[in-house]
Amino acid sequence: MYKKQEFVKNRNMKNIAKKMIIGLLAGIVSGLFSTGGGMIVVPALIYLLNMEDKKARGTSIFCILPMVITSGFFYYKGNYIDWNISILCAIGGMIGGYIGAKVLKKIPVQYLKMAFTIFLIYASYKMIFN
Amino acid sequence: MIEILIGILSGIISGTGMGGGTILIFLLVYMLGIEQHIAQATNLIFFIPTSIIAIIINLKNKNIALQSAVFISIFGILGAIIGANISINIDVNLLRKCFGVFLAVIAIHEIYTIIKWYKKQKIRDTKKNEN
Repeated sequence: MYKKQEFVKNRNMKNIAKKMIIGLLAGIVSGLFSTGGGMIVVPALIYLLNMEDKKARGTSIFCILPMVITSGFFYYKGNYIDWNISILCAIGGMIGGYIGAKVLKKIPVQYLKMAFTIFLIYASYKMIFN
Repeated sequence: MIEILIGILSGIISGTGMGGGTILIFLLVYMLGIEQHIAQATNLIFFIPTSIIAIIINLKNKNIALQSAVFISIFGILGAIIGANISINIDVNLLRKCFGVFLAVIAIHEIYTIIKWYKKQKIRDTKKNEN
């Protein structure tokens, strides 16, 4: 009985430590690049905390919003927000999000992933060497 | 107008959970010649309205582990303070190169997941053949 309690306690401590690290890392990346927090939080929740896919995605969006708002405050203070461009992009984003939700279900995820990977390789090459 | 189109494209990709933000930033920098910091700040604003809607939907569908989410968020805010302060204080060219390296890391991770998926598919196929 005692051992079981000890085990549960240890596991809880480990999970708390994992969540701290996930949060910190995702926050740093989110602040540095303003994107990519989700690409850390979602796999981390799935593989480190054994969360199911859907729940991990939902939870990650909830986690990232406060990071984005915090980062936004510092970018705002640094005078880096161009409201004109930002609002236009945000409007487009909402339209795109709606289209995506309707249309993307019909395209297999694997093909999208491959296309996205090719884009990433091209973009990273341009960003580093240009 | 181009800004709206870039937003639409990135919004569509965001829906798949594949980081529409990376595409938004890249297109802003290379199609409109916008400075890296401003492109990143644009992505922050871009993210807020869509994510609020997504959070409401996910809360309704009980797809959020609230306790974990709040805990991770607190440390996320700490991390964001560190990250954002580094970002706004470093040189644009250095930031852009770091961003490029970050994209390469994601690309490697994506390749890894695609390979894993193919292996799984193969195992499933051989099992089917055995039956």
